[in-house]
Amino acid sequence: MAMNYNAKDEVDGGPPCPPGGTAKTRRPDNTAFKQQRLPAWQPILTAGTVLPTFFIIGLIFIPIGIGIFVTSNNIREIEGNVFMYYGLSNFYQNHRRYVKSRDDGQLNGDPSALLNPSKECEPYRRNEDKPIAPCGAIANSMFNDTLELFQVGNASDLMPITLKKKGIAWWTDKNVKFRNPPGTDPLEERFKGTTKPVNWVKPVYMLDSDEDNNGFINEDFIVWMRTAALPTFRKLYRLIERKNDLHPTLPAGRYYLNITYNYPVHSFDGRKRMILSTISWMGGKNPFLGIAYITIGSISFLLGVVLLVINHKYRNSSNTADITI
Amino acid sequence: MGGAGVEVGSRDRPCKWVQLPPSGPHTDQHGSQPWEDPGPAHTDGSVSHPQCAGEEDWVDSRTVYVGHREPPPGAEAYIPQRYPDNRIVSSKYTFWNFVPKNLFEQFRRVANFYFLIIFLVQLIIDTPTSPVTSGLPLFFVITVTAIKQGYEDWLRHKADNAMNQCPVHFVQHGRLVRKQSRKLRVGDIVLVKEDETFPCDLIFLSSSRADGTCHVTTASLDGESSHKTHYAVQDTKGFHSEEDIDSLHATIECEQPQPDLYKFVGRINVYNDQNDPVVRPLGSENLLLRGATLKNTEKIFGVAIYTGMETKMALNYQSKSQKRSAVEKSMNTFLIVYLCILISKALVNTVLKYVWQSTPFQDEPWYSRKTEAERQRSLFLRAFTDFLAFMVLFNYIIPVSMYVTVEMQKFLGSYFITWDNEMFDEELGEGPLVNTSDLNEELGQVEYVFTDKTGTLTENNMEFRECCVEGRVCAPHAVCNGQALPDASATDMIDASPGASGREREELFFRALCLCHTIQVKDDEEVDGPQKSPDSGKRSAYISSSPDEVALVEGIQRFGFTYLRLKDNYMELLNRDNDVERFELLEILSFDSVRRRMSVIVKSAAGEIYLFCKGADSSIFPRVIEGKVDQIRSRVERNAVEGLRTLCVAYKRLVPEEYEGICKLLQAARVALQDRDKKLAEVYEQIETDLVLLGATAVEDRLQEKAADTIEALQKAGIKVWVLTGDKMETAAATCYACKLFRRNTQLLEVTTKRLEEHSLHDVLFELSKTVLRCSASLTRDNFSGLSADMQDYGLIIDGAALSLIMKPREDGSSSNYRELFLDICRNCSAVLCCRMAPLQKAQIVKLIKFSKEHPITLAIGDGANDVSMILEAHVGIGVIGKEGRQAARNSDYAIPKFKHLKKMLLVHGHFYYIRISELVQYFFYKNVCFIFPQFLYQFFCGFSQQTLYDTAYLTLYNISFTSLPILLYSLMEQHVAMDTLKRDPALYRDIAKNALLRWRAFIYWTLLGLFDALVFFFGAYFMFENTTVTSNGQIMTSNTHVVFGNWTFGTLVFTVMVFTVTLKLALDTHYWTWINHFVIWGSLLFYVVFSLLWGGVVWPFLSYQRMYYVFIQLLSSGPAWLAIVLLVTVSLLPDVLKKVLCRQLWPSAIERVQTRNQCLSVEQPTVFMLSQTSSSLTF
Repeated sequence: MAMNYNAKDEVDGGPPCPPGGTAKTRRPDNTAFKQQRLPAWQPILTAGTVLPTFFIIGLIFIPIGIGIFVTSNNIREIEGNVFMYYGLSNFYQNHRRYVKSRDDGQLNGDPSALLNPSKECEPYRRNEDKPIAPCGAIANSMFNDTLELFQVGNASDLMPITLKKKGIAWWTDKNVKFRNPPGTDPLEERFKGTTKPVNWVKPVYMLDSDEDNNGFINEDFIVWMRTAALPTFRKLYRLIERKNDLHPTLPAGRYYLNITYNYPVHSFDGRKRMILSTISWMGGKNPFLGIAYITIGSISFLLGVVLLVINHKYRNSSNTADITI
Repeated sequence: MGGAGVEVGSRDRPCKWVQLPPSGPHTDQHGSQPWEDPGPAHTDGSVSHPQCAGEEDWVDSRTVYVGHREPPPGAEAYIPQRYPDNRIVSSKYTFWNFVPKNLFEQFRRVANFYFLIIFLVQLIIDTPTSPVTSGLPLFFVITVTAIKQGYEDWLRHKADNAMNQCPVHFVQHGRLVRKQSRKLRVGDIVLVKEDETFPCDLIFLSSSRADGTCHVTTASLDGESSHKTHYAVQDTKGFHSEEDIDSLHATIECEQPQPDLYKFVGRINVYNDQNDPVVRPLGSENLLLRGATLKNTEKIFGVAIYTGMETKMALNYQSKSQKRSAVEKSMNTFLIVYLCILISKALVNTVLKYVWQSTPFQDEPWYSRKTEAERQRSLFLRAFTDFLAFMVLFNYIIPVSMYVTVEMQKFLGSYFITWDNEMFDEELGEGPLVNTSDLNEELGQVEYVFTDKTGTLTENNMEFRECCVEGRVCAPHAVCNGQALPDASATDMIDASPGASGREREELFFRALCLCHTIQVKDDEEVDGPQKSPDSGKRSAYISSSPDEVALVEGIQRFGFTYLRLKDNYMELLNRDNDVERFELLEILSFDSVRRRMSVIVKSAAGEIYLFCKGADSSIFPRVIEGKVDQIRSRVERNAVEGLRTLCVAYKRLVPEEYEGICKLLQAARVALQDRDKKLAEVYEQIETDLVLLGATAVEDRLQEKAADTIEALQKAGIKVWVLTGDKMETAAATCYACKLFRRNTQLLEVTTKRLEEHSLHDVLFELSKTVLRCSASLTRDNFSGLSADMQDYGLIIDGAALSLIMKPREDGSSSNYRELFLDICRNCSAVLCCRMAPLQKAQIVKLIKFSKEHPITLAIGDGANDVSMILEAHVGIGVIGKEGRQAARNSDYAIPKFKHLKKMLLVHGHFYYIRISELVQYFFYKNVCFIFPQFLYQFFCGFSQQTLYDTAYLTLYNISFTSLPILLYSLMEQHVAMDTLKRDPALYRDIAKNALLRWRAFIYWTLLGLFDALVFFFGAYFMFENTTVTSNGQIMTSNTHVVFGNWTFGTLVFTVMVFTVTLKLALDTHYWTWINHFVIWGSLLFYVVFSLLWGGVVWPFLSYQRMYYVFIQLLSSGPAWLAIVLLVTVSLLPDVLKKVLCRQLWPSAIERVQTRNQCLSVEQPTVFMLSQTSSSLTF
């Protein structure tokens, strides 16, 4: 004889006490929503409806894939703008200790963060009682080899090729996210009270002679500060602009690459590379995407055919099954 | 027993009282004097003595001093006792302890505790994700739950306060005082007026009625709305005014509070002037319970004996045991699996990390030095914190939001039941009630339905059909419709001139029916006096707890005998000659379910004393010595087969000496303190013998509307229906035939007392099992050919006595043998009828099935108080809001107005809820595998450094906002098949039986799908980046940005593909696209894009890092990224689509076939479909 005692019930039952909630249950509203009868589209994935989709996917993907593949294979022609990359391997820019070792406030020109960098920068936060600018492991390990490209002329003379330093970083990074400390003084004054990162040769305000590419807004620096996703990565180093439409930017011939070797990679079993590439409408050289598109398109097309067969073969049997139930 | 200061030694007092010279504080000569009367009391007392030290019901006693007056000096030692005050506390929290107590309660849930630990770990150690990512969702969950619980508790406080502060009239020093209810104390004398509820449990001292009675309804206690009569204590019923009552000098001894509403034993000692206490027994008829309401009585006085939380009502407050659904259980199993996966992932990564770091340049290359503190930390500590950090990194695999979503789905989803118009009953003006939303999906999993018969399958609307007097049958049809039309059957018997003695018997029969009952007449017309004509049409004024009685008395009216009322202990009736006959009511031997009969002893005007007895045939026939037994028996059996409820009536004439003997026996039994019920039953047994059979009655209880249809549908759905009833076998079997539970070709197997008298239980069971198993062996062969229609149906009938034999553990301890055998037989029977069941036995049956080896899901449905035990026992308890009060409805998980609504409840709502929640659970695990597995893979490429793949905002919001709403909406709205189809084709219910969508196979499929998708996302992005092609945007427009993408872009690409895949996967699963679905699914994708644009578009000043700045926009401005997103989403979705299509084509389930067929139909009539769509959209 168990019952659920509830004081509220008692109140309802007892007239001497103030009447409780005596809301009478009314007939529920006859709306489509409450009766779960909202008009609805009721699609079902049957072989019949999916078949065309498979074929369509096949028909769209295969051409796209071929297009991508061809475009990316044609990139060999060094025409148009050429991009010069340096590549590092076995370099863990994505290690957590490394990734967080920066102070975005400082890089954005915040004067207080400049002189008092974030704790995340440890152990690259202070040196000899002076705050490091830019602080942190990422900045400290900035790539500092110098690459120079020469064309070997007819008479074995070296003709330097103009490498453009600017325009290699995200526009927003250079103009919004990275800023030098405010002020109209020369950069050196604005960075006063700070010291250079331990591994650097020169302080940050001497990265480049161009005022617009110096300090925190140095594009080499900005590019480096965008940590790579994987331990083998490449970063944009320079641009080689096309001179005119008639000639290839880098005509066929012998070239000479002069590397000022500063950056140690042997200690972590790393490798360095230099890559020259142009880009097309869909990026740089990209066999993966093209192959993937072709593969998926073909599989899809094949599945469409298989389904068609199955659909044809089993249609009768499924119809008889319908009848038995 | 709280503050009930009970004196030492009172435990064994009741037997000392009778047996020994007075000892102990309360027992003295005066007190024991009345007990020395000659009579059975003594012998009984001494007989029971050996038992009373050990196993007595009356464990403890309390002494109450009426009006706080000390007993006369020397009578008893006055020991003031402390009892709790009359405060009712149903609230859980107070203002002060709410926060700690509620937090404690919440964190006792394993899931919450887990998230708290994760949060604390994040706070303490240096972890890859900020504590916000897990703290915010946890905080949200805890706060919402706390607010909900706080609000509920506030409502309880309000209700408590209303209760505790409502005014009560006390008698103090002869004056009436108004006080708050909570100040009431044990021993206070209370005045209660008409229509007031009793503020606590009272002993009824006196009433404004001269006869010392009062009427009470206990509707809010046990749901019975009938008026019950209670009696004032004999010696105090004369005290009518406050002054009088104040002069009362008495003590009451009674048992300590017990929850049984219908049991009470105690005695009152009234001290007269002579200082010579009069002892009276007190029973439940003297006790007025808190919660009951005074009716038809101007006022009463009573003395409080149990107050506050010790009242019987409060003791009956029983929090329902938490029922957990099968889905929840499998969800918890899956959680454990995922917890194991989580721990092993973390372990693997920790180990690999240290393997990887064993080469020094990997551990600490020149470009990434550790701090001094890090270097000095011990290896073990480092490893441990690394392990914890990995745990934190992967903890999202068990999402907080799943619990919130499941709770919300259940809570909101249950509204669809209450909103259902088809389940609304016009007559009652009520729709279904949902008392718990935890079990919605369990409605789709039911395998056994246990149903009550009376009031559930049948209407419990009794109609008098016929009576059989002295072997002649008379039916009142003709009389009832027209004005005493001389119908053939009716006149037949009247005119048949049965002779003087026959006619006398016949009239006696009608008088017996008029007198032998406990009906009250509604007092509205009391002023009219007894002259009220029987033809005035006021027939519905009878009130009784038993609808049979009302039907009988009303039926008898048509034969010219009308019961008028009970006045001053005289029953008045109007006979055929319109004369009022008065019978003095001497005794009522009330009905109980063991005896299955009741008797009254009345004294006619002529001074003759009669005993009229009315009861079930089986309990009357053995006690009959005279009368046309055979004729009546055959008629009774015929009626029973037709499904009528039969009662037999007998009488005997008593000479005054006999009556005096009976009186003494009764009195002795009634004052007994121990085993009073047992003794009374013995006395009744003694009295109700040597009867003369008068006749039998038949009352029809009509089947509920569509009961047969519902049962048929349930059986087609693969649900086994058992009928559990207290009724007798023949009647119950007839009902079963009527509602198609048994069919013509059903072979009935009987395990009944009758059969067990001839054979031993062992033989019967073995024989039956042989029959059944032989059949099922042949069935399994046939099943392959699908000839299910031809199979031999078996129906089992078992009665309560046989069942208790089966359930009884055997002496050699091998109790389970018979049970197993019995279960085997039951499993092979399509229908089982259990008759003559006591309420507890109903629960036993449910329990037996529930814990049998398949662990089937059981559902119990009933309407009366006697069904409560089985409703509470079964996995799902359903109450029918019926005539026998609301107690079943209140204790149930769901309440429906009619039995027929069960069909929609199970086949439609249950099916939908099951589909919805199983998708919800599986999908949640799936999307979190998709979410976390790339994170796991990324560790292999970042030196196991716990670097997160996604930004903090994405980590936090993935489950909360990017992917939460579509699945919540799906789990509220999805209808894979139309409602009407589900109702039309009950067999579809079998498709989801046995938790089909949450079995290991399904779970593993979903998990593998998640793993596959995760691999696609991660390695798709990986190859894009490894080939380092995603390095520029379309330079066709501007050629000044040829960007290099970093790790955050990588994560964002993976995340974008993931959000789209996961959402589109749900879109593929959605079969029911309303505009809301479109809105939410496309809306949440849009929200993701807008959020990402915004999140990356602004330098947020409150963030210490700006790593997401322009990442998303740069990603979208790169052509290959678009191509990759399209490709990867397609690849991820392909296998699932393929699996769906192939399964549907090659191995379609019943549901899928129906879907396909409906699809074909709707294609054929597109215009009609369109029309219906537009018209219904208008109504929205």
